[in-house]
Amino acid sequence: MLALRLLYRDWRGGELRLLALALIIAVAAVTGVSWLADRVAGATEARAADLLAADRAVEYPRAIPDAWQSEAESRGLTTARTAVFPTVVLNDQASRLVSAKAVSDRYPLRGSLRIQRGPGAEEVVPDGIPAPGTAWIESRLLGLLDVSVGETLEIGAHTLEVAGILSFEPDRGQGFGGLAPRLMFNHADLPATELLGEGSRVRHKLLLAGPLPALDGFTDQLVAREGNAVEIERPSEQGRGASEIIEQAKRFLGLAALLTVIVAGVAVLLTVRHYAERQITGVAVMRAIGATRRQVLALMIGKLLWLGLFAGAIGAGLGYLLHLGMLALVAELLDTRLPPAGWQPLATGWLTAAAALVGFALPTLARLRNAPPMRVLRQDLGSGLLGAGVPLLAAAGVIVALMAWQAGDLRVTLSVLGAVTATLAMLTAVAAAVVYGARAWSRRGGNRRLLWLTGFTRRPVTAIIQIVAVGVGLMSLFLLAVVRNDLLSAWESEIPADAPNQFLINIQPDELDGVRSRLAEAQIDTRFYPMVRARLTALNDAPVQAGDYDSAQARRLARREFNLSWTTELQADNRLVAGDWWGDVDDPRPQLSVETDFAEEIGVELGDRMTFSSGGQRVTAQVTSLREVRWESFNVNFFVLASPGTFDDLPATWLTSFHLPPEQGQVLNDLVRTYPSVTPIDVSSVLRIVRTIIDQGSSVVELMALLTLAAGVLVLLAALQITGEQRRFESALLRALGASGRRIRRMARLEFWLVGLVAGGLAGLSATAAGMVVAEVLFSLDYPFRPLTLVVGALVGLVTVWAAGALGARRYYRASPMRLLREGG
Amino acid sequence: MLEASALAMRFEAPEGRISLFENLDLSIDAGDSLAILGTSGSGKSTLLGLLAGLDLPSGGRVSLAGQDLTALDEDERAALRSGRVGFVFQAFHLLPGLTALENVMLPAELAGERQARPQAAAALERVGLADRVAHYPAQLSGGEQQRVALARAFVSRPQILFADEPTGNLDHHTGEQVIDRLFALNRDYGTTLILVTHDQAVAGRCARVRYLRDGALATEAG
Repeated sequence: MLALRLLYRDWRGGELRLLALALIIAVAAVTGVSWLADRVAGATEARAADLLAADRAVEYPRAIPDAWQSEAESRGLTTARTAVFPTVVLNDQASRLVSAKAVSDRYPLRGSLRIQRGPGAEEVVPDGIPAPGTAWIESRLLGLLDVSVGETLEIGAHTLEVAGILSFEPDRGQGFGGLAPRLMFNHADLPATELLGEGSRVRHKLLLAGPLPALDGFTDQLVAREGNAVEIERPSEQGRGASEIIEQAKRFLGLAALLTVIVAGVAVLLTVRHYAERQITGVAVMRAIGATRRQVLALMIGKLLWLGLFAGAIGAGLGYLLHLGMLALVAELLDTRLPPAGWQPLATGWLTAAAALVGFALPTLARLRNAPPMRVLRQDLGSGLLGAGVPLLAAAGVIVALMAWQAGDLRVTLSVLGAVTATLAMLTAVAAAVVYGARAWSRRGGNRRLLWLTGFTRRPVTAIIQIVAVGVGLMSLFLLAVVRNDLLSAWESEIPADAPNQFLINIQPDELDGVRSRLAEAQIDTRFYPMVRARLTALNDAPVQAGDYDSAQARRLARREFNLSWTTELQADNRLVAGDWWGDVDDPRPQLSVETDFAEEIGVELGDRMTFSSGGQRVTAQVTSLREVRWESFNVNFFVLASPGTFDDLPATWLTSFHLPPEQGQVLNDLVRTYPSVTPIDVSSVLRIVRTIIDQGSSVVELMALLTLAAGVLVLLAALQITGEQRRFESALLRALGASGRRIRRMARLEFWLVGLVAGGLAGLSATAAGMVVAEVLFSLDYPFRPLTLVVGALVGLVTVWAAGALGARRYYRASPMRLLREGG
Repeated sequence: MLEASALAMRFEAPEGRISLFENLDLSIDAGDSLAILGTSGSGKSTLLGLLAGLDLPSGGRVSLAGQDLTALDEDERAALRSGRVGFVFQAFHLLPGLTALENVMLPAELAGERQARPQAAAALERVGLADRVAHYPAQLSGGEQQRVALARAFVSRPQILFADEPTGNLDHHTGEQVIDRLFALNRDYGTTLILVTHDQAVAGRCARVRYLRDGALATEAG
């Protein structure tokens, strides 16, 4: 408990705050990422199984033989059957194509269904499946068939009573079934429908759940026996996209957390050394009045234990908040239920704190036990006590261990380690060359140079440490910025050179001919598209409300006013996938062609009627075709296209896109001057939107960068703290010798500028180099070396060190010359 | 109480081996007080360190409370000092992050004493600093700091007190006050006192005076 009391007194005296802050930041970074990764990965696995409604599924073109089911069950597996097929259901007034799904008891084996007992009723998880003779239908089918709960539908030769509204089905999936509304009924009713004759498009599945060996045993045997007739589906195949993204995000975040830990580790290393240096006399006093070496060591370890405990707890608390913040940032991307937060990241946090303390702090503090008691009488004793070799080696060892543990991937570990080691070596070498070079130069040049460069060259080792420390902090920041921005730039540079780079929008109908001829004069051959902005207000005459949609994307689309166009000819980057294109045929019916992803999202099918509103006008038209669009062509494209005449009542403008070579920039200027209402959009603004989307996804990484920045600032402050006493003394001495306060501040400023300039320049250089390596190794992208990063780096370094230096060192330069007399130097 | 015989201290220096002193003999009985006078650089602080067992001599023996210090390792000497030996230094050596009270508590806490706080408070009261317990060293004058150091030295009721130029950093008047307190405590507790100084007046307060000059101890001023 003495250690705790002494720790408290140290803390109160402000001794360990930087150290504790560095630990807290490191722990927060690691635990935050750990919690995030754990929960998202857990959700993804669960979701992947949900997407299949099972751990494994066997698809078979014919009815699943009963023998398979009993065989699977004899192996300890849980089973269920499903059969999905398109069919038309009827009631008294209407008929409708549905995607019918027959399910057996225990379905779904993973995930759960959600139903409503009536329109507007609460969503519940049903106890089982539709009872024989009943069906659950999707809510839109109620409107489409004008049927209500409790009424009956005809399906084939059978009649089913609508018993509920199906609001969620885990394995809804995509494809044909995704477009038609669902009708779910009991597998026992399947034969009675008489819909399973030869040639019917039924997909039969046997769902399986249970232990992995039993699953493998059963499916392997089935594949061996039946060959290609059976198709085995696994959860990973269902959620592959999501889990790949999450795996990459985890890797990137792990990398960011690692950088934070390393930078924070540097701060710990520096602060603990400063702390230890200030403790030498105190420990000598303790030893003089009877403390043994073992007692001193126990005290130091005790202090670190308590410090680690507190910093670990606070850091883990921050990490928990951090992961909540990250989850909030990516909530819309996840769109799933997360498993509860586990305890493991807490242990991870304490382990990180312990590792950081053992690696970065203990080797230095342990040396204090050898503080010579004679120091109480002779201050010169014990000055070389702390050493540097062992603490640095221990720190390096812990960094490598943490990296291997945190990254979990040898290649990433090695590339990051390589980058960090090479950077440290390079930073040290170049910093030493600059500092010693400046020293040699200043000595040759006489007093004036000597005075200006004092501080920078009089403390060469400290200057090098400062440059390397600040350089590492800045480098990690630049690396995050460089990696992200340059990867985006590299991606942008892969867009074809002749892809349209300009949009002109808001061309009024009476300006159309003028704009067209201007562009033609400039040899720009382009196509013009009419455009109306309208809101989708009704679907099949039922009002569209954002709240009706499950997905965030669909809700956004339903709320938004979007762009519509009309045309007679289908563009080359469009491909019809359903229905017929109206073409030039003189068909007076208003028709729509809808992009497939959009149709799926908003729940539109071939034959549906969509109503759009704009400026008080309403237009209703029928969907007669669905198209796929190759958006990456960067041509003008629309979610919804109409046949000519459909939108004649709505106010339209025109737009176009074309490739404008940079040397023809004047054309655009002239055009805009003549037609002020025409709005040009540089395609880079479109790229900016893409960038924004990516930026939103990477806002999580920015949180990590913020932590790295905080750790970097701590390194700066720690480096300043180390030289603080010396600065105070120098300042007082120079004042006593007649230097003005202004002059002293100017000298200090110059020192900060030099340190910042060199550190920032080196950081920019090494971050670019490391970024290039990372891009090559991790993403197989290459991007050109950017000298600007170096210049910007140097400036950022200058400003950062100057600002932090001014803040952190101000008090050192207020020292009165009287101090010299009072303290005897 | 303390006995040194044939004590020698030599250093390796760039210009060869330097002998600070050779063949010193010294003894002091319990409750006695001894001043060692000497000029700056005469080696008197080093001698004090050897007598207190802070360092080992190049030759000779020191025995404290019947134990041969030169036969003990550093930790054993520390254990011997614990609770038995008090120090007062020229530079005070108060720990800057600790209040006056905490500085005084430290020796008792290191010795595992449970009543450290009330003992320290009483010790501070004795040196007239009852109203300064919560002050940090930087908030105290030099004289006050040295009085805190006195309280710290006496809090564990040491059998022997080593004082290294206790008035060296103080003005004459303050120095006298501190010395008054030192001798009052010394008398009250019956502590053995070994004091190193270059100040004749301070040395004169001790029962015995020795002069360290040219590496030898003399009983007369030279």
